[in-house]
Amino acid sequence: MDVSTAVFAVSYSGTPITGTRALQKERQLNQFLAEVERRALRIAEIGVRNRADALDLVQDAMIKLVHNYSERGQEEWAPLFYRILQNGVRDWHRRQAVRNRVMVWFGRKGSDYNDYDAVAAAPDPIGRTPDEELSNSEAMQHLEAAVHDLPRRQREAFMLRTFEGLDVAGTAVAMGCSQGSVKTHYSRAVHSLREQLEEHRPEGYGPGEGSR
Amino acid sequence: MNETNDAFDKKAKAMFDESVDGLDAATLSKLNRSRHQALAQLQRRRQTWSRWMPATGVAAAVLVAVILLQSPMAVNEIPGLTTPTDMEILLGEDSIEMLEELEFYSWIDSADLDNDVG
Repeated sequence: MDVSTAVFAVSYSGTPITGTRALQKERQLNQFLAEVERRALRIAEIGVRNRADALDLVQDAMIKLVHNYSERGQEEWAPLFYRILQNGVRDWHRRQAVRNRVMVWFGRKGSDYNDYDAVAAAPDPIGRTPDEELSNSEAMQHLEAAVHDLPRRQREAFMLRTFEGLDVAGTAVAMGCSQGSVKTHYSRAVHSLREQLEEHRPEGYGPGEGSR
Repeated sequence: MNETNDAFDKKAKAMFDESVDGLDAATLSKLNRSRHQALAQLQRRRQTWSRWMPATGVAAAVLVAVILLQSPMAVNEIPGLTTPTDMEILLGEDSIEMLEELEFYSWIDSADLDNDVG
């Protein structure tokens, strides 16, 4: 490499980071995060049963995605974002378990996350009668509780596939496992949820509906 | 069975979407703030880089140029010139004459050596 090539190479290396490309990347990231943030919050909330903690987890996931993966292709952002979020939820449970052990040792009640009231935390949709609202809130409460009680991998597979709408490949990236494992976890999750929610099932997903 | 699962899936998704749509304004505001905080670090990184880029670029370019010019390899890479000796011969004022009588100078050199030994 001669001198002129070396000087050009040094000067050129900084160009893509600044300028219009960086602004465009920022706009794309903003759009992506705005699209996923609300679903991500509810997914995290079902995972940890606490809205404030779920907000913290979503914020951490956003910061880590922007910091570590903003240069990756747009199509990779969703699986990576949910992978970070799921890791955050997992870490939250580990910390919670340690905290509960310590609290029990000091003779105090552990965490209050079992007292989480999904009905109280549920959204307040507009334009429905109180009975309808209560019925929907109760159905969602049962669904949330049932999803929360699933084994961790089944819960992740179900929420990523059904709630977030990731495909099998994207879910596999987000969960850090094979596509075959995703299919197995997801199938078991659906089977288990259907059994659990049989009594509280919302209209429309029963066998009669499915066979129509 | 698959149709049943699909129906269950759709209904569960619809319930979930409904709960997402019903998030209160305070929560949406917090999410919005979180997003902007995350994106702010991208802006900070860009600002820091653009502040230092000209100086860094010039310094790096000067450094590379100095290294390449100081290196003897830079001279060696000029086509047709293989050793520093060739360069010295060409630059010397009386070198052409010496080249023409190279055999004579070689003889003197060896004769001097013989005399020294003797």
